[in-house]
Amino acid sequence: MQLLNRKYLFSFSCKMRFSKLFYSQLLKLMFYSVLFFVCRQKSKMNVGVAHSEVNPNTRVMNSRGIWLTYALGVGMLHIVLLSIPFFTVPVVWTLTNVIHNFGMYVFMHAVKGTPFETPDQGKARLLTHWEQLDYGVQFTSSRKFFTISPIILYFLASFYTKYDTAHFVINTASLLSVLIPKLPQLHGVRIFGINKY
Amino acid sequence: MNIDRESSESEAPAYHLILEGILILWIIRLLFSKTYKLQERSDLTEKEKEELIEEWQPEPLVPLVSKDHPSLNYDVVTGPPSHKIIVNGKECVNFASFNFLGLLESERVKLKALSSLKKYGVGTCGPRGFYGTFDVHLELEERLAKFMRTEEAIIYSYGFATIASAIPAYSKRGDIIFVDEAACFSIQKGLQASRSFIKYFKHNDMEDLERLLKEQEIEDQKNPRKAKVIRRFIVIEGLYINTADLCPLPELVKLKYKYKVRIFLEESMSFGVLGEHGRGVTEHFGVNIDDIDLISANMENALASIGGFCCGRSFVIDHQRLSGQGYCFSASLPPMLAAAAIEALNIMEEDPGLFRVLRDKCKHVHKALQGTPGLKVVGEPLAPALHLQLENSSGSRTDDLKLLRAIVDYVRYNNRSEAKGRKRCGRKKCTSNRDNHTLKRIVKQNPFKNVGEIHKEWTVAGVSASRTTTHRRMQDMGFSCRIPCVKPLLNNRQHQKRLASKRTGLLLSGPKLCSLMKVNFAFPLEIRVPESGGREERHTIHVA
Repeated sequence: MQLLNRKYLFSFSCKMRFSKLFYSQLLKLMFYSVLFFVCRQKSKMNVGVAHSEVNPNTRVMNSRGIWLTYALGVGMLHIVLLSIPFFTVPVVWTLTNVIHNFGMYVFMHAVKGTPFETPDQGKARLLTHWEQLDYGVQFTSSRKFFTISPIILYFLASFYTKYDTAHFVINTASLLSVLIPKLPQLHGVRIFGINKY
Repeated sequence: MNIDRESSESEAPAYHLILEGILILWIIRLLFSKTYKLQERSDLTEKEKEELIEEWQPEPLVPLVSKDHPSLNYDVVTGPPSHKIIVNGKECVNFASFNFLGLLESERVKLKALSSLKKYGVGTCGPRGFYGTFDVHLELEERLAKFMRTEEAIIYSYGFATIASAIPAYSKRGDIIFVDEAACFSIQKGLQASRSFIKYFKHNDMEDLERLLKEQEIEDQKNPRKAKVIRRFIVIEGLYINTADLCPLPELVKLKYKYKVRIFLEESMSFGVLGEHGRGVTEHFGVNIDDIDLISANMENALASIGGFCCGRSFVIDHQRLSGQGYCFSASLPPMLAAAAIEALNIMEEDPGLFRVLRDKCKHVHKALQGTPGLKVVGEPLAPALHLQLENSSGSRTDDLKLLRAIVDYVRYNNRSEAKGRKRCGRKKCTSNRDNHTLKRIVKQNPFKNVGEIHKEWTVAGVSASRTTTHRRMQDMGFSCRIPCVKPLLNNRQHQKRLASKRTGLLLSGPKLCSLMKVNFAFPLEIRVPESGGREERHTIHVA
């Protein structure tokens, strides 16, 4: 694992000169480091050993334990927000929903490419993580899971905010921002050329 | 609290319920949809595909090959290749080697390699990242970086793989590379592996390159966000293998700074050949080496080792330590050869006169090869490896190859002293052309020796010919003998003349006599006519 991390970090540091979204990649790398620490036992992704996977980004969301980690992560976020004394419960739920959707949008649909160098000479350089998952195969199990989870979160948030109008607007907008990019019709589509290169 | 609980039990608004319903339906649809791959649209229908499959005829596994295919009739070399090489049992001068500085047969290099062999063994049995890095590798990298006056260098174990690994390490899909049309095969493989957009410009044509760069600039201005992400490179060779001429490096550096492109310079043929101290084409043109982003060279030519190296700025070269495929995934250079390369570098550094000698020899050979009928010399006078091309091609490659092969066979078998068949009828030549050349060399070396000594030397060189033959050959070549061994005898006329002149004093012929008669002497002149009438009237003047 040390070797792999070092290699990734090194390639990452070299990639820095070429990548525009410096901080998003950094965040992504930190996220990966946490992930590797959590799912190191019996991981389907073979963390820390040699593997012949050309682009590990495609398989990371199928790794053993990652769904649980993700759910626990959202739970932790919610608990931390609840501990802040100034927020009421509806506000906290809306905040959870919004922060979760914002994080999902940034990591899955905004940041492009890989934080490490791949042996395929940069095939995925212009693809977001969502487009890279499972090499573009649609409706795989991890894609279904990550589409359904913001919807569940939305249901919970709309229940706990008592269907208030303002909260409704915010929550729905946030949900749509995260659901629409996941449609197979929008695979590789960049509206108005935003985020194309 | 009660009011809150009551308001929490109020009905959700209708639009919200509808939205939730839609979302639940969406979830159900999602859970029941099958995975499918987004098809890349292919323009063939099923029927067309079947037709193509029916049409296909497999080629034979072993195709028929003609008996005189060049690969089936190869020449066998025995013994070590140095200045002379033994091909098919016959000793020839070796013009087919890239051993430019002659370091392949240097005793110093051989001794160093042998001692290294005793210390390390033969191979390293591992790539650089897995116990394959030896101290000689690090030392060689340091020495090369110091020699080329760059920050860092990296060693590859196979010369072909050097530039073929370096290019794809930096240039990926979507990047643009401008390459000269005459780029060598390893560069072409590197370009293919990089999956970038390749744009060829005409060989050494800076206007063509500038036109391509301008077009790229216009496209960049149309789409500046894309332009910020793609990288642009120019790949050139210092001394081209395929055409044996130099690249115009100063103009290329100007273009580099004008259009913001990076230069990769491949110096296999010019490393150890050009420049005051052999540092290559940058020293030759006086270009600052920091202007070139990456210099890649083969150690298999002038340095007489195996492998290759890349040198440049630290942050450029360091990237190849993880991304250079030939570096990470091949066994490292055998330490014996690394030690040999270090010793070769020592020789190059100690004696920069080597390069001047090489350049003079190159110019000499270039001049000597001019004027061969039917063949033209392609290449610069400075190039250590030249091309001899047919002046008029017959149009078909096989015919041209056959003709070249015939020329080679003619030259190879023309020097035989035994005649065969009707080729040599008539008087048998007792010395061959080669022996004549030897004689010429001997005579030129010793201009003041007499024929006897020259004959002795010629016999020592292995020729059986008599002294008269050497004399005759020398006269045929145009050398007149300075000191005759045997003084020639006088014929009758010469003898009588000498006797007469001794007896009678001055012998004068007509015109001289007339002019003498006009002079007033203090003493009287007596003119006596000889009794015998010669061909001319001869008067003797006896000074009284």
